[in-house]
This record gives sequence, structure tokens and C-alpha cells, in this order.
Amino acid sequence: MTWKKRQQLTGYLFLAPYALSFLVFLVLPILVALVLSVMQFDLTATEQIKFIGTQNFTDAWKDDYVKQAMIATARYVLLFVPSLLVLSLAMAVGLNAVKKGRNVFRGMIFLPGIFTIAVTAILWQFFYNLEFGFFNWVIKQFGGTAVPWLSEKSLAMPSIVLMSLWWLSGGTAVILLASLQQIPTMYHEAAALDGAGSWKTFSKITMPLIKPVLLFTVLTNTIGAFQMFPQASLLTQGGPELSTRGTVQYIYEIAFQQYRLGYAAAISWMLTAVIMVFGIVQFIAMRRNSAQ
Amino acid sequence: MKKLLWVVMLLVAFAFIFPIVMMFFTSFKAEGEVLNPASVVPKLWTSENYRNVLEWSEEAPFGRWLLNSVFVSSSVTLLVLTLSSMAAFAITRLKVKGGGAFLGAVVFSMMVPGQLFLVPVYFILSKLHWLDTPAALIVPATAGGFGVFMLSQFMRAVPSAVEEAALIDGCSPAQVFINVTLPLCAPALATLGVLTFIGSWNDYVSPLVYMDSVRNYTLPVGIAMYQASYYTEYGRTLATSVLASIPLLIVFLVFQKQIVESMASSGLKD
Repeated sequence: MTWKKRQQLTGYLFLAPYALSFLVFLVLPILVALVLSVMQFDLTATEQIKFIGTQNFTDAWKDDYVKQAMIATARYVLLFVPSLLVLSLAMAVGLNAVKKGRNVFRGMIFLPGIFTIAVTAILWQFFYNLEFGFFNWVIKQFGGTAVPWLSEKSLAMPSIVLMSLWWLSGGTAVILLASLQQIPTMYHEAAALDGAGSWKTFSKITMPLIKPVLLFTVLTNTIGAFQMFPQASLLTQGGPELSTRGTVQYIYEIAFQQYRLGYAAAISWMLTAVIMVFGIVQFIAMRRNSAQ
Repeated sequence: MKKLLWVVMLLVAFAFIFPIVMMFFTSFKAEGEVLNPASVVPKLWTSENYRNVLEWSEEAPFGRWLLNSVFVSSSVTLLVLTLSSMAAFAITRLKVKGGGAFLGAVVFSMMVPGQLFLVPVYFILSKLHWLDTPAALIVPATAGGFGVFMLSQFMRAVPSAVEEAALIDGCSPAQVFINVTLPLCAPALATLGVLTFIGSWNDYVSPLVYMDSVRNYTLPVGIAMYQASYYTEYGRTLATSVLASIPLLIVFLVFQKQIVESMASSGLKD
């Protein structure tokens, strides 16, 4: 055996452990999900497991609960992603402008992101509590009446979004701050010499330069937001009247409370199709940026 | 103007940590005072909530959950670091045939949304008889492509001349890997290790789906269940939350630079 061949063989030995894990827990699941989605596969009725073609998909298309869950998911995405972007960008610009204590502020804003969603939800439930929560206490100090943050249909989703902003916007602000810091200062100096105001400098110079990073954060957060699950399941249990039950929570309930794995897999694929549209845009955008 | 902006940023930063401060203070309040938001700092400090939590009970074995979390997160971190660095070494240094294509497949797999894996991985784990065992939380967590991708990028950016010379001089690949490549990659390994540990420690969905017995839960699912049964006893649930978060706060304070910077660069890489 030549030296070159031996090095190749050793190489495959080094690659093998990860490759095995990758095959069993990333590639195989995709195939299993495909097979399950065309089967009637109820763990409570194992004698009736059979191939049913596209019936799970046509059932899901007609399922009002799927529709409701997709609407709840879309509401979350549409409320969360734009507000996240505005808040994070504002904080990043603010952080970029202050010199003294910037790293301390950055750390404080980032800190909520390291807590588990379980702790985050407990904490916010305490703050949102109708009778003795902190928010309603403040409102009552100003003579207002208690707000049913989590039990009123029109308020529950915005309340979940607010918690998610607290939890996640620091991370996005940190990403945007890093991209602002990469802009050479001479661009802004030149704009100032030419007499451009701060808003003009921001919209004509800063924004175009950080556009690729903005696009990246919008897409990754959109993909994440489509999969929102523990936030709502812990804070509102999907209520009131299922108005905050997202698609992943519905998939979870079908698969692990009703044990209908085939049907759950089919809905999972439908959500995946929606998400992959954004995933592919992201892939293309990243390719184009790295090509430049 | 500068001063005003500074004050605004101070207020914003304070707003972000206020709930955390509130959690800490409330966990030291006596039962009656917990429900009074007007007092932020406890009038009477008590460790009663913590004693209640730490008392071993069958329904809520906090110590057991803590041990499970420590064991699972440490194992995941160790395995991810080992498997990813070996794979990246094979691809970028030993240049195995098809390594580039494999890396491409790994990167592509990172685009598939995580929710798609919930049901099939549950199915595979049930066939392996791994449900309700720590293996269900440890082994599938090593399959993610981020570590291999990140370490391959890092290794490609550092010159491989030393490693090639060592290989030609007759060192075995294993010797080169342990003595040259791993020390060279120490900063990237530290970042990957910290991120993996935090991700595993905070993972709520996997233990929720794959674990059955209360004593096999990790902290996130344990405390969520605890909160569901002691709904209004916020003193206790917040004390549990503080205890569950302390290890992470320590990790954050020690590795703040790595954590924040790796987050910051995630948007800039491409």
C-alpha cells in the first residue's frame, strides 16, 4: 500500500464517526419522514399501518386546525420579524454611537438570550400575571385597569412576541452592531464634509452597506419564527381558543399526544415547503455575497 | 446629544436585565411578599424557596434533573468537539476523496428546518430502544453540521505547512491531529464548545419529546413541569429558575467575549 493510499484510508477512519451520526440522524430521518408521510401510521392502531399515498396531505389541506395553526404561525412571523428588525437595528445604531460602556451595554442586552425558554416563559408569565404581575401593577399606578395580557385573544400573540423580542433581539443587535463597526469611518467623514445630515448619511450610506447582513438576519429569523413552538406552548398553551397554537405545536400534539406519526409527518413537510422557500433565498443570497 | 443617547442606552440595557434582577430578588422573598410587585428588593430575605426546591421529592427531583443536565450537556459537548474536529481534519488536512462533496451535503443539511426531524428521529430512537434514556438526548445532537462546517472553515484559514511537514516526516495522522491540529484550533474549539454546551443545556424540545419518566428529564422540561404544578407559587418556580440558570451565567461571564463575538461574526462570515 502506498503512503498516499494509507493517508486516504486513515482519512476515512477520521471521518467515519461523524459520517455515521450524520447518516443515521440527519439523512435517514429525512427518508423516514418521507415514508411516514405517505402511510397511515398510528401508534395506537399498529395493526392498521398501511400505505395511503397522498391522503395525509389532502386531509391536512382540508383540516381547519392546520389552517388555524398556519394563520397563527403567519401572525407570529409578521409581528415578530419586522419588530425584531427595527428594535435590533435601533439598538445596534445606539450601541455604535456610544463609546463609554459599549461592551457592558452590549452584554446586558445580549444576556436574556442565554436563558432557556422554560425559564424565560416562567419569568414572563410572572410579569404578565393579571392580578399581581409587574406590568399591571405599573398600569394600576397610573390609574389604569388590569390588562389581560395572555387571556385576551387580540393580546396573546403580541404578548408572546414581546417576550420573544426580549429573549432574541440582543443577539440580532450584536450581529448588526458588528456589521456597523465594519463600515470604514472615512465614508461617514466624507458624507459629513459634503454636508449630509445624519438621516441622509444613515439611509444613503449605512443602510446600503449593511444590506447583506440585514437580509441574513431577516431570513434566519423568519425561518426560526416559522418554527415557533415552546414560546406559545409554555406561555399560553396555544390559547385562548387555540389562537396562538402554531404549526409546530400542532404537529407536536398530533405526533406525541395522539400518536398519529404519518399525519404529523405530512404536516411537517408542508411547513418545510414554506420554510424552504426562505431557505433557498438565503442560500442564493449567501452565494452571491461570497462571490462578490 | 451624546449624553442623552448614553442615558437612553443605559435605560434600554437596564430594561433588558430588569426581569432577570426581578427573578433573583423575588426568589428570596417570603410567600406573602412574592405577590407584591411594589417591593422589588425583598424586605425580608429568606432562603425558604430554595430549601423547598432542593428537598428531594419524587415528583420534582431537582438534584436529579441537574445531574441529568450536566451529564447530557457535557457528553454532547465532548462528542461534538471530537467528531467535528476529526471530520474537519479528514476533509481539510488528509484531503479524503469526496470530502468536499460531503461538506457540501453537510452545509445543505443545515438548511432543512429542525421541526422536520421531530417525528422521524422519535421513530428511529424507538427502533433503537433509546427513548427515555440519555442516549436519546446525546447521540442525535452530534449529527448537526455546524461544528464540521465551522472547524473546516477555520482549518482552511490557517496554513497547513507544519502538519504536512510532520506527515511527510513520518508522524502518524493521529499524532499530527492531537499534537499539532487540535492546539492550533484551540480558539475555534473553545467557541464551538461553549455554544454547543449552551444549546444543549437550554434544549427544551428534545427532552420534552424523547423522555418519558420524570426522573429522566433535564432541567428545562423539569422546571416547566414544576411550574405547571406549582402554578401560583412564583417564589418556588423562580428559585428553580435561578438555580437552573446559574451554571449558564457562570459560562457566560467567563466566555462572554467568545459568545458575543461568535454571534457577531455569524452574520459577517459570507
